[in-house]
Amino acid sequence: MARLHLQIERVGVAPAGRMFEAGDIVVGRSEKADIILDDYSVSRRHARLFRRDDGWFVEDLGSRNGTLLNGRAVSGSAPLGAGDIVRIGDTTLRVTALGEKPPTADTTGADATTDQSVFSVLRPASELMQVAGTDARASSRLRLLNEVHRALAAPISREELLQMILDRAFAVLQPEHAAIHLRGADGQLYQAAERRSPRSSGTLLVSRRLADEVTVKGAAALVLDAQSDERFATAASVLASGIRSIVAAPLSDADGCLGMIALYSNIHTRRFSEQDLELLVSLASAATMRIRNIALAEQAAERRVLDRELALAREIQMGMLRRRPPEQAEVELAAHLVPARSVGGDFYDFLIDRDRLWFVVGDVAGKGMAAALFMAVAQTLFRAFTPLGASLAEVVAGMNRELARDNDRAMFVTAFAGCLNLATGRVEIVNAGHILPYWLQADGTVRQLQAASGIALGVVEDRMFPTTNVTLGVGETLLLYTDGVCDAVDARGAAFGNRGLERCLAELGPLPASELVAGVFGAVDAFAGDTAQEDDITVAAIRYRGAPPSGHSPD
Amino acid sequence: MDIVQEKRQGVAVFAVVGRIDSTTSDTLERALTRAIDAGQRRFVVDFDGVTYISSAGLRVLLMVAKRLGGGRDALVLCSLGDAVRQVFDLAGFLPLFAIERSRDLACARLAGA
Repeated sequence: MARLHLQIERVGVAPAGRMFEAGDIVVGRSEKADIILDDYSVSRRHARLFRRDDGWFVEDLGSRNGTLLNGRAVSGSAPLGAGDIVRIGDTTLRVTALGEKPPTADTTGADATTDQSVFSVLRPASELMQVAGTDARASSRLRLLNEVHRALAAPISREELLQMILDRAFAVLQPEHAAIHLRGADGQLYQAAERRSPRSSGTLLVSRRLADEVTVKGAAALVLDAQSDERFATAASVLASGIRSIVAAPLSDADGCLGMIALYSNIHTRRFSEQDLELLVSLASAATMRIRNIALAEQAAERRVLDRELALAREIQMGMLRRRPPEQAEVELAAHLVPARSVGGDFYDFLIDRDRLWFVVGDVAGKGMAAALFMAVAQTLFRAFTPLGASLAEVVAGMNRELARDNDRAMFVTAFAGCLNLATGRVEIVNAGHILPYWLQADGTVRQLQAASGIALGVVEDRMFPTTNVTLGVGETLLLYTDGVCDAVDARGAAFGNRGLERCLAELGPLPASELVAGVFGAVDAFAGDTAQEDDITVAAIRYRGAPPSGHSPD
Repeated sequence: MDIVQEKRQGVAVFAVVGRIDSTTSDTLERALTRAIDAGQRRFVVDFDGVTYISSAGLRVLLMVAKRLGGGRDALVLCSLGDAVRQVFDLAGFLPLFAIERSRDLACARLAGA
C-alpha cells in the first residue's frame, strides 16, 4: 500500500509529520479540510492530494492564490514523488517518503517535534464513526464498546452513567482530566461530571470556542497542541491550565446534541491521536443514547409528580365548590363547573344569609397553580366578607382591595356577584369585568342583562363598583356563566359563542334550574364533540320561585 | 401565535399574530419580560394580527404595564380589532391602557415621551 508521508512546515511553527494511506486529502482553511491551514492566503478548499492506482497526485481546487509544486504552478493534476515540495500559502508540504517505509525520523521518533502535528483536526463526528470499523485497532475498540454497551444495559442513574463513561475514558485514553458537559434547560452547557488524575491541579476552564465547535457544529475535535493552535491562541483558559492536548466529541444523535465529552492532557504526559478521537466518538455515541433515555425517563417522572400535584390541587379546588347548593323554598339553585385539563380558575358560590341569597361566579385569568390559588383566595374572601358587608358593593370592594394588594404577578379575577332579596325577588348586582348573565323572563324572552360594569377584581386598589338593580318575577331565571361556555370550540375551531348560548336557552325554555344547567352543558358538549377545551366551563342558574304563601313577609 | 419584533427609535414593537390564549400567553409574557429585563422601557403591542385574546393575555399586558410603572407613556397598544377591544372592554381594561389606531400613531406617541 502506497503511503504518503508529509512533513508540514510553516515559518514560526514547529514542523509536523503526517502520514496518509488512502483517499482524498483536502488541504485548506476550512475546518472540514483534512489538513487545515490557518492562513488567510489559503482558500477554504485549496488543494487536494489523492491516490490513484499508479501513485499520489496533487491538484489545485481552483484556489485564489494557486498551488506550487516544486516552484511551478499546478494546473490540472500532477504526480507526486519523494522529495517533492508542495507550497500552499505560507506552508510547505514536503513529501518525505512514498510507500510502505516511513522516513527514519518517524520510526525512531528521535525528533519529538516532527511526529506530532501541530495542526488540529476537526472532523464531522459522523465521518469518524464510519472509519472506526475499518481501522486496524477495531478489535480492541469493539471490545471496549461492547463492555460499555453491556454496562449501559443495566439500570443506572445518570450520575452513575456519566461517571462510568469517564472511568472508561480514563482507563483507555489516560487523560489528565475528563469532563462531560451537558446542555441545561436554559440551553447553556454545564459540567455534569468530571474526573481528574491525582497529578492534575487547578480548575479547568473550557474553551467556549471548542464547546461551540463540538456541540453546535457537531465536530469531533482533536487539538494536538493547544499552545500552537492559532484557533486556541486566545483561549487563555485552556493554556493557563497547562493543558495542551484535547480530544472532544459531541454527545449527539438524530434528535440533536446533548453536550460533549472532552479529555484533556498535558502534552508532557500524553498527546492524543486521531485513533483516540475515533475511540472517544464511538464511546460518546454509545453514551448518548443512554443519556437520552435517562433524560426522557426523568422527564416522565417529573411530569408524573407534577400531574399528581395538579390532580391534588384540582381536588382541593373542587372541594371548595359547593357540591350541593343550599336549599331554600324561594329559590332553585344549580351550578356546575367542568375544569379544563389543567387546574383552572373558575369558581362559583351561593350563601344564604337570613332573607338574602348572595351569589358569585368568577373566572381567574390564566390557568395552572397560580390561577387556582388566586381563585381559592377570591372565593374565601367572598365568604369572609358577605356576613360583614352591609351592601354588595362593600363586599366586592373589600374583595378587590385584598386581591389587589401586593399583586405583582398582575393576577385578576372577573366576577359577577349578586344579592337576591328572597322575599321580593329584587336583585342587587355588581359586575366586575365579567360577562353579563342571561335573564330568562316569564314570557319566554331570553335577554342578556344590562348592567353597569366595573373593572375586574385585583387590578386597581380602592375602587367602588357600580350597582344595578333588577327584579326577578316568579319563575324567572338568571343564568350565570364563564367565558369557557362561549369560547368552547368544535373540531374546526369555531366557537360556541353567545349566539350558540342564546339559541340553546331559547330552545330549552323554562326549566327547573338543574335541568337548565344540564341542558346548557349538553348543548356545549354536542357542539364541541371530542375537542378538548382550553378553559374551565361554569354555568349557574338561579330561579326565583317567589315567597311561599305562608310565613315570611316582605321587608 | 407568532410575535414579530421590531425596534423604532428606541421603541420596541411587538406585533402579535394569532390567538393570545392561556396556552400562548406564556410565550408573549416571556418575550416582553425578557425585553424589560434587558432594559427596554417603551413598548408598542400591535394587535393587528390578533384574532382572539383571553383574560390570560390581558393579565400579561397588565403585568407589563405594572412593571413599567403603570405609565401610559411606556406601553401603547394599537390596531385592536372589534373582538379584541370587546374583551378589553368587558374586563374594564380599556381605561388602563393607552390605545392608538395604528402602529405609526402608537410609535409617535412614545417617540415624544
